[in-house]
Amino acid sequence: MRAQEEQTYQGPLSVSGYHGDADYTYLLVDGDTVLNGPFRLRKANLDALLQKQDYSFDFKGNFRNNFPVGPWRFQFGTFQSNNESQVVDYQYRVAISGVQEEASGNMVNGKPDGTWQYSVNEIEDSEVSKSLFKSNISFENGVPQRNFRIENDSLTLAGRFLRNGLAHDEWSLFETTGIGAAESWFFNDGILREIRNDSNGRVEVIPIYTNDLEESKTINLDARYINAVAIWQSLERTSHPVVNGKMQRLLSENASYYKKIDGILSELGESAFLPEFKVKVPYYPFTETEQVQLDSIATNFFEAKKISDAYLENTQLSILKLSDSDAAYLFEVITKIDKDYLKPIAKFVAYKNEGVVEFLPKEKLIQHLWSNGKPDKQISVTVNLDSTMTERAFEIDNVADFNFVNNDVNVLKQITDYALHSLLKVESLLNKKLINQQRQQELIAIEEDLISKNKQLQQLIDSTNNTISNSQKNALQQLKQLADNKLSDYSSIDEIKTKLDRGQELTICYRTFLDLAKSISVLPEKWESIQKNYQDRIWNPFMATLMDEEVKKRITGSYRRVLVPYYLEQVNTELTCAEAKKLDLLIQSTYQRMLELRIENTSKLERKLRKATDPEVVLELFGLTTEKPRK
Amino acid sequence: MKGCSNNKLVLLALIFLCGFTAGAQDGGGEVLPTESKFKDPKTKVWFNTYGNIRISKRLFWDAQTHFRFEETEDTPFIGQIGQIYNRHAIGYIYSKKTNFSLGGVVRINFNTDESSTDRNVVPEWRIWHQYQFAQPLYTAMIYHRIRIEHRWTQGFEENSEYIFRNRWRYMFRAKVPLNSHKLAPKTLYVSPEVEVIMQSGKEVVGSVMEDLRMTTTLGYILTPRLTIAGGLMYTQGQTLANPGIFKQNWTMRFHVYFSPDFRKVRNKLPAIHLND
Repeated sequence: MRAQEEQTYQGPLSVSGYHGDADYTYLLVDGDTVLNGPFRLRKANLDALLQKQDYSFDFKGNFRNNFPVGPWRFQFGTFQSNNESQVVDYQYRVAISGVQEEASGNMVNGKPDGTWQYSVNEIEDSEVSKSLFKSNISFENGVPQRNFRIENDSLTLAGRFLRNGLAHDEWSLFETTGIGAAESWFFNDGILREIRNDSNGRVEVIPIYTNDLEESKTINLDARYINAVAIWQSLERTSHPVVNGKMQRLLSENASYYKKIDGILSELGESAFLPEFKVKVPYYPFTETEQVQLDSIATNFFEAKKISDAYLENTQLSILKLSDSDAAYLFEVITKIDKDYLKPIAKFVAYKNEGVVEFLPKEKLIQHLWSNGKPDKQISVTVNLDSTMTERAFEIDNVADFNFVNNDVNVLKQITDYALHSLLKVESLLNKKLINQQRQQELIAIEEDLISKNKQLQQLIDSTNNTISNSQKNALQQLKQLADNKLSDYSSIDEIKTKLDRGQELTICYRTFLDLAKSISVLPEKWESIQKNYQDRIWNPFMATLMDEEVKKRITGSYRRVLVPYYLEQVNTELTCAEAKKLDLLIQSTYQRMLELRIENTSKLERKLRKATDPEVVLELFGLTTEKPRK
Repeated sequence: MKGCSNNKLVLLALIFLCGFTAGAQDGGGEVLPTESKFKDPKTKVWFNTYGNIRISKRLFWDAQTHFRFEETEDTPFIGQIGQIYNRHAIGYIYSKKTNFSLGGVVRINFNTDESSTDRNVVPEWRIWHQYQFAQPLYTAMIYHRIRIEHRWTQGFEENSEYIFRNRWRYMFRAKVPLNSHKLAPKTLYVSPEVEVIMQSGKEVVGSVMEDLRMTTTLGYILTPRLTIAGGLMYTQGQTLANPGIFKQNWTMRFHVYFSPDFRKVRNKLPAIHLND
C-alpha cells in the first residue's frame, strides 16, 4: 500500500449537501480515491454573513485507509452579523449571532471511541448565550460505555451502560430547571424493571418487566422500544400512561445529531457513527401460521376500513338516510362495525406496522383491545328516523362459522373477517339503494337533456321555415313527430332501470335526430354549393364573353331529382334511431361524393344515369351503397 | 333619258355618270334615272344556323348554313326558296375579344324570277376572311366586324360567265342584355346592328353600295352553348345593273347559334384562360 504515492487535493468538494473548500490527502488504489491522512472541509462566506446570514461549517480530522481515525471535530454554524466591525490587532472583527453546533471526539476504525461531546449553543455577539443541546457519551469501539449525559434546554437525561452497551442501573430524566417531575428508569442488564416518577416529592413506582423473561431480544433504545414499553404498561395497568415521550424526544434529538455526522463520514469513507444504546425486551415470536394470519388481518382490515370510510363519508347516503329507514339502519350498522370492530383492530394493525406487536403478550393485548368484551356478532342498532326509534339487528348468514371466544391471533383474524363480511353484505344492500337513487338523479339529467334537444329540434324547424322547400319542411315535421312519439313511449316506462337504459339510448337517438334535421335543413345550401361546383367557365364565341356552364347535369340531376326526394321520403317512413343515423351519414357522404364526382371522369356513369330513376340504383352507381339494396 | 335632261349642273353630272355606267356596262343599255329609283321592297325570311365548333385551344370551325326564302306573288316573306348558303371557315382565337377567320362559301342561288326560262339553280363561290373585335360597354357588348369576300357569281342564263367581285363589309353590332346585368344563360338581349356592304370589281360600275343592312334582333341565351334569336332587317342597295336604282328588302331573320366543344375535359379546361 505504501507503494502508492500520497496525493493532496485542494479545491471545492460537496459532501452530504455541504459544499465547501476541501484540503485532504489520499491514495489512488485501482482508480479509486482512498482517503489517507489529514482531511478538512470548510466554508465561511463573509459576504453572505454581512448581507443576510451565513451557513458555515468546518470538518476536520484524519483518515486511514478510508476509515476515520484519531481526533475529529465538526462545526456547523448559522450566523448573522450586526454589521458593526472593529479593528483589533491588525484584524477586522465582526461580531456574530446565531447557532453554533460542534461535535468532537476520537475515532477508531470509523467508530467513535472515547468521549464524544456534541453541543449546540446559541451565540449572541460572538459569545455563548445559551446551551440548546449537549450530549456526552463515552464509547469503546462504537459501543457506548459507562456514563452518558444528554441535555437540551429543558430536560436532562443521565444514565449508564454495561460494557456490552446494554442500559444498566438508573437512568434519570429531570427538568433542567429543577422544578417539576423527575423520572427514573431502572434497568437491570438491559431490562427495564421499573419507572419511578418523582413529582414534588410524591413518588410513584410503576413496575414494567418485573418477571423473568422467558424469551428476550436485544434491540436499540429508540422510539420503537419506548412505544413497546408504553403499550406494555398500558396493558398492565389501566391508570394513566406513565411513558410520556420526554425521554424519547431527547434520545431521538441526540440520534438525529449523530446521524448528521454519520451521513458525512459515511459518504467520505467507511464509518458507523451511531449511538447504539441497547436494551432487552420480552419477545413473543409468531408461528408461521400466525404470521400468515397477521398478513390476512392487515389486508382484510384495510379492505373493510375502505368500505366503511366510503359509506360514512358518502354524501348521497347521508342524505338518503334522512328519508329512507333501511338506509338509516344500514348506516348505523356501519357506524357500529367501525366503532366496535374496526377501531380496535386498527390499533392492533398499527402496533404490527410499528413493529412492536412481537414485544407484547398476545392474549393480554387482544383482551385489552376489547377491554369491555368482544363485540356481539349480532349487530344491534337503534334507528332514529323522524323522531321514531326502531331497534334492528344485523347479522350475516354464516354467523356460526365465526368464533370469537379465545384471545389469539386466529380469533383476531375471525373478528376482522366477520367485520369485512358484514360490511360486504351491507355494501350489497346499500348499493342497490344508492344505485336506484343515483339512477333517479341520472334520469332527471337525461330527461332535461331530452327536453332541451326536443326544443332545439323545434327551434331548428322554426328557424328554417323560410329557407327550405315544402318537402323538406314535411320531413322535418315528421322527424319532430317521430321524436315526440319516442319521448312519449319513453315516458310510459315505469321501471327505473329500463327507463334509464331507454333514456340513454334516446339521448343518443335525439342527437342523431338533431343531426339529421340539420342535414335536411342545409340541403338547399348544399345544393347551391353543388351547383356552384358543377360549373365551368367557358368562352362563348358569339358573345365573346365568359359564361358559367353547368356540367355533368345528369349527375346533379340525379342528385336533385332522385336522391334528395328519396332521402326526404325515408324520413317519412318510421325511422329507427339506427336508420336515422345511417340516413344522416348517407346524406353527408352523398354531398362529399358529389364533390368528388365533379372532378372524376364520369362519362360512363353519366351514360348509366340516363336510365336510372331508382334511388337505390343511383346510389349504387354513385358508389354510395355499402350493403345490397333493399328489394 | 329623262334623268339626264334637267338643269345644266345635274345634266353635267349625269352625263358623266351615264357615260360612266354606259361604258362600264359595256353598253348594256341601262340608263341612270334622273332621280334614284327605289324598287318596291321585297319580303324575305332567312333561317340561319351559326356553328362555332371548337377544334383546339385557339382554333374553331365556323360553320354557317342559311336558308333564305322570299316572297311570291301569293305568299309574302316565305313563298319560295331563294338561296341556300354554306359558309365555312377556320377561325383563330387571338383573344377572348378578338378573332379572325378564313374560309370559303358556296351558295346555291335559286332563280326566283317566275317568268324566267333560264336555269333554276346556279352556284356561287367565295373566299372570305373576317376580323372581329368585341368590346364591353357597361352591361352590353359592342362588336366591330370587318369581312372581306372575294366572290365569283354567274347569272342564270345558260353558259353565263362567272364575274369576279370583291365585297367590303363592315358591321357594327351591340348586344344589350335586358333581364340581366350581363350576357349569360337565360338572358334576353336586344341587338341592333348596321352593316354596310361595299363592292368593287370590273363589273361594278357605280353600284358600290351593294347593301346597307339595318337590323334589330331579339335574342335569348339558352345555355352557354346555345342561343336563339329573331329580328327584322331592312336593307337597301344599288342594283348592279343600274346604280340609280335601289332595291329594298324587309327580311325576317331567325338564328340559331351553337358552339359545341367535343374536346376531352382535360383539354378544355385551360382554354378558359386564353391569355389572361
